[in-house]
Amino acid sequence: MSRKLSVAIVALLISLMLLLLAVYYGKFSMFGYIVKYLPLVLDGLILTIEVTLFGIFGGLALGTLLAIGDMYGGKAISTAIRLYVEFFRGSPIIIQLFIFLYVIPTLFHILIEPLTVGFAVFALNSAAYQKGYVKGAMEAVFEDQMTAGLSVGMSKPQIILYVILPQALRIVIPAWSNEFCSLTKSTAAVLVIGLRDLTAVGMTIVGQTWRILETYVFIAVLYFVWITAVTKIADVVYERKKIPGIEISV
Amino acid sequence: MTSTVMESRHLWKAYEAHLVAVKDVSFRIREGEIKLIFGPSGSGKSTFLRCLAMLTTPDKGDVFLRDVCLTKPGVDLNRARARIGFVFQHIWLFRHLTALDNVELALRRVLKLPKTEAKERALQALREVKVEEWAHHYPAQLSGGQQQRVGIARALARNPDIILLDEPTSALDPELTGEVIDTLRDLAKKGTTMLIVSHEMPFAREIADEMIFYDEGAIVETGPPEQFFTNPQSERAQKFMIRLIKKTKRE
Repeated sequence: MSRKLSVAIVALLISLMLLLLAVYYGKFSMFGYIVKYLPLVLDGLILTIEVTLFGIFGGLALGTLLAIGDMYGGKAISTAIRLYVEFFRGSPIIIQLFIFLYVIPTLFHILIEPLTVGFAVFALNSAAYQKGYVKGAMEAVFEDQMTAGLSVGMSKPQIILYVILPQALRIVIPAWSNEFCSLTKSTAAVLVIGLRDLTAVGMTIVGQTWRILETYVFIAVLYFVWITAVTKIADVVYERKKIPGIEISV
Repeated sequence: MTSTVMESRHLWKAYEAHLVAVKDVSFRIREGEIKLIFGPSGSGKSTFLRCLAMLTTPDKGDVFLRDVCLTKPGVDLNRARARIGFVFQHIWLFRHLTALDNVELALRRVLKLPKTEAKERALQALREVKVEEWAHHYPAQLSGGQQQRVGIARALARNPDIILLDEPTSALDPELTGEVIDTLRDLAKKGTTMLIVSHEMPFAREIADEMIFYDEGAIVETGPPEQFFTNPQSERAQKFMIRLIKKTKRE
């Protein structure tokens, strides 16, 4: 199974390279004009990847802390965490970006770079979703494993670290992979605060060349390859890390 | 006179007003003793055992592990539990760890033993319960009997002062209970202090120093096994023994 997936990833990456080469040598004449924009496209792609990776891993770390805080933090902390989650799940990400770029700096008299805002908002936003996934997974392994851990003399933090999380994080991978897909696509919103991500670069090219179809198809293929590669890797990791007895039935 | 290992004084635990699982129970077990608790299901035996290990907090009364009062506020319960072995009815191994790692985890994280020593002691414990050859298998790859023996190894690897066993065989298929019983018999020979909730009557007769009939949250009758098999004093114990012996014969 995991072998098949590796083959799929390699095939995808090769086809991406072929596409880029074809474009570069003008063989794919329809896309030939893109050659001179390739450096720009590459910059946009890198920014998109950076925001996504920071968002997904920052969100996983923060989301895990939020899940733990919600389960053990007592009433006040748990209420605060719920408010946080409701805010980030219940409002458009574009408005969240504006709030962090304009409202918070005004209130606190600080200056936040748009790039920092982009990174922070996506990590904070994704944490709100990932908290739910991690908490659900922790609850699935929680009760008996906690009691068993206490019975051998471990403290609650030790049990969470060595018993609950290693199981929960394995269970959460498929949901995490879904979150990654949706997060990658929503990073396009950073263009409203002036960041030049992949989608913004596409709009620039269209503005200069009026080649709407070819440009957006090209941009979409790049998103597709990036998302597919990562989700396949997540599948492989899930297979590799799978332990008999700890699986989810989707 | 040998010293008291564990004691409860006037212990109470209720889940709801009308569901009192532990009703003013006072109990004591000495070094090297094996006591066996039996009684109808739902009578609160498991809750009593959990209260002794402070896995469930009692409402009233005191629990002592040697000289330490576990019910006093501020006592380090994790340290106390490290000296108590607990074997669960439904086994409850750590599902993401191999048999060896299940036993090793507490040795490393609680007793803070270095890696090689922890591994050596974990293997030793697995050897004692005769599941050494399954050390690198995950719980889901083991039979119920093997799993429960790993559970026993996990409980005894820390050289606890006492091992509490909550119906260690009742979740197993009948043909697998034998291997677990054999393991307990070995522990008994080594002088391990044990408090066992069980309905394995022939086994009880063979190894228990004292049997305790527990019903409706209270100790109804205590005495040597022979007393229960030949001449139970209380009416409830008589009725229960008759039912139990009939059932054992059927099996």
